[in-house]
Amino acid sequence: MNKSLRFLIVLVPIIIFTFFANVLLIEEDEKFSKFTTKNFPPFELNDLNGIPVKNEHLDGIKLVNVWASWCITCLVEHPFLTKLSDANIQIVGLNYKDSNIKASAWLQKHGNPYILTIYDPRGDLAFDLGVTGAPESYLVIDNQVVAHIQGEMTPKKWETIFHPLIKKASNKT
Amino acid sequence: MIGEISHFLSLSAVVILSLILIFNFFFFFGKIHPNQLSLSIRLFNQACWLVFISFAMYVYLAINDDFSIAYIASHSNSQLPIFYKISSIWSAHEGSMFLWTVFLTAWSIFFINSLDDSHFLKKTTLLMVSLIILGFLLFLLLTSNPFERVLPFGAIEGADINPVLQDPALAIHPPMLYLGYVGFVISFSYITAYLFHGNFELEWEKDIKNWSLVAWIFLTIGIALGSWWAYYELGWGGYWFWDPVENVALMPWLAATAFMHSLYASSKSSVLKTWTMFLGILIFALSLFGAFIVRSGIIDSVHSFANDPQRGLYLLIFSGLITLLALGVFAYRIPSLNASKFVVSGSKESFLSMNNILMVTSIFSIFLGVTYPLIIEAINGEKVSIGPPYYNTIFTPLVLITAIFIMASVDSLWQRSKPIKSYVYKTFFPVILSILFTYFVWHITETFSILSYIGIFSGSLILFTYLLRVLNNFFYKKFINKGSAVAHIGLGLLFLAVSLNSILSYEKNLNLAPGESIFVNESIKEFSFDDIKVLKASNHDVISVEVSLLQDGKNIFLNPQKRKYATRGQITTESSIYTSILKDTYLTIGDQLENGSWTFALKINYFIKWIWFSASLMVMGMLITIFKKIAT
Repeated sequence: MNKSLRFLIVLVPIIIFTFFANVLLIEEDEKFSKFTTKNFPPFELNDLNGIPVKNEHLDGIKLVNVWASWCITCLVEHPFLTKLSDANIQIVGLNYKDSNIKASAWLQKHGNPYILTIYDPRGDLAFDLGVTGAPESYLVIDNQVVAHIQGEMTPKKWETIFHPLIKKASNKT
Repeated sequence: MIGEISHFLSLSAVVILSLILIFNFFFFFGKIHPNQLSLSIRLFNQACWLVFISFAMYVYLAINDDFSIAYIASHSNSQLPIFYKISSIWSAHEGSMFLWTVFLTAWSIFFINSLDDSHFLKKTTLLMVSLIILGFLLFLLLTSNPFERVLPFGAIEGADINPVLQDPALAIHPPMLYLGYVGFVISFSYITAYLFHGNFELEWEKDIKNWSLVAWIFLTIGIALGSWWAYYELGWGGYWFWDPVENVALMPWLAATAFMHSLYASSKSSVLKTWTMFLGILIFALSLFGAFIVRSGIIDSVHSFANDPQRGLYLLIFSGLITLLALGVFAYRIPSLNASKFVVSGSKESFLSMNNILMVTSIFSIFLGVTYPLIIEAINGEKVSIGPPYYNTIFTPLVLITAIFIMASVDSLWQRSKPIKSYVYKTFFPVILSILFTYFVWHITETFSILSYIGIFSGSLILFTYLLRVLNNFFYKKFINKGSAVAHIGLGLLFLAVSLNSILSYEKNLNLAPGESIFVNESIKEFSFDDIKVLKASNHDVISVEVSLLQDGKNIFLNPQKRKYATRGQITTESSIYTSILKDTYLTIGDQLENGSWTFALKINYFIKWIWFSASLMVMGMLITIFKKIAT
């Protein structure tokens, strides 16, 4: 009895740890595949210059990027977004809880990768979209949100999550 | 610059700790060098001081708003008072891990230096704690670096601390809890060292006793503060939710409580030694497990930090290795430990070992509750959640058995059993009084729920047992262990308060327009919505509501609020609470409806403040025990 007890004392933790390692590794693969497509919420907002923006502006393949001048990580991902826009990816900015003076100044200083920027000072659209903070990026194809990345957009995330979907969509048309 | 120095100091600590481990490893095979120990101690102390200075510099950076450091920029703000600038350090993953490591270092340096240089376990304990500190420092620097800079441009303004964390209780809650969690690194390392050493004739309990008592106090305060904060700031309206993160804090607490009792027994009569050692290892292993659960984001909870599987994997492997190391030596040594005498049934030891079994059963039940959803999801992909009904059903019988054993064990003797007759005599009054009391509650409330009444009976059993002893002590000068009596009265009160709270409390959802007033029930004759205002504060907008109640013939004014914070856009609910001895009147506002009226959640929470009061009684009991020990 004593021997099996001693054996158990070591075996049980090993089983528990293997189990958790298993759960942890499976979760990583599945995290992004579970996203369900939804319609882009209807909105009535202006861009930074006060010109109205409508849902029609989101037809085609668009990358919607939530950013703000107070957001530091946005600055970190900014060079990569610029690269994407140079590669003819259409990026729509969603300026989140910011003032348009600061936001415009920010774009002037660091460069503007966006084809247009929706100005959402109260975060209404962001709320409907389910934004939890800046930066966040959504892949919108014909007014449908098909994928979502929280936090900094990195080349790796772009390649593994957004890029395959864009390929698929452009093959169809 | 200061940021880099701070970072560099932490890195240097890593290097020094590795050095200690490496050269001791080489000496392990050769002869013991005369200077080996003193060199290790010196290096160890230096490494600890490097960590402290590094943290102090980090605090300095936070106070002076260095927003070029990414972590500070995303969790602090120049408008914050200094107090919250400092507490913003532990408001998210990286900084709180830093604090955790600093506390780990602090406990270790104090403990190691409290041991004589000639102490037979000093070297091995030192190596154990060095290994653990090194593991956490590497975790901090490799996977969650708080020193990371945003280059080339720093932010002009920080993103602000999460508003629900801007609260004194929450600023103190994490440090207290961490002090408790990591405090058990002492018993863990020391016991492991003792098992490695292998000479079991030597005394060991007294070296770690007071340290563990102090760690227990911190852990208890930490948990109680967290529960209090959730009640009045988060607007949850209750005190305990069996949230996974609450559960992973409760598991080490139960293990620690069992350990305390077991340590007491093994220092008196050398039985239960195996149990005590097992529990001592278990506490820290459960703390590590808790850290893993919270930091890996494996389970969704209010406390989850940003998910990062890499962190989870590191923590899992590290804590797995540390735990297996300790449990492996333990399993290897069991046969040589077990030399002690068997336990006399009916003796104090027998009751204490029952206590251990009950505590471990509770821990196992909670563990099952936490992991069950994961197991089910792994098997068939279904999502299930385990809630209060599971825990209530499991714990109520355990509470009853615990209460009966506590009552019986109070008068038991070490190593001897007592005739059954004396138990009948001693337990007669508590049992009768408890039955009467339970009947009395039933008579007044006229509600019935079997689980709650078992709770009430159990609570009053413990309470009356100890109150009678206090009276005996007062009038007949009979011996009483004061610390134990106070702590157990706290426990009895806790069971009572929790059970009474569950049968008496109720909730009403009301719906009123401004200026309206309604009749709620016999106790609250009038509820009037007097006024609503929209105010502007420096960093948030406030919807402030004034409500007056006519409760039990008294006029009460309540002022619940809703706040919207500008920087993060977060909406928080500020509940308004009126406290009387028996109950809390707890009011929060909900949303405005289309017809212009507002929804209110009115909760009448009976005996809820007594829950925290009983927690403080337990802490007080423990303090009395410590001071009595120091005095003698």
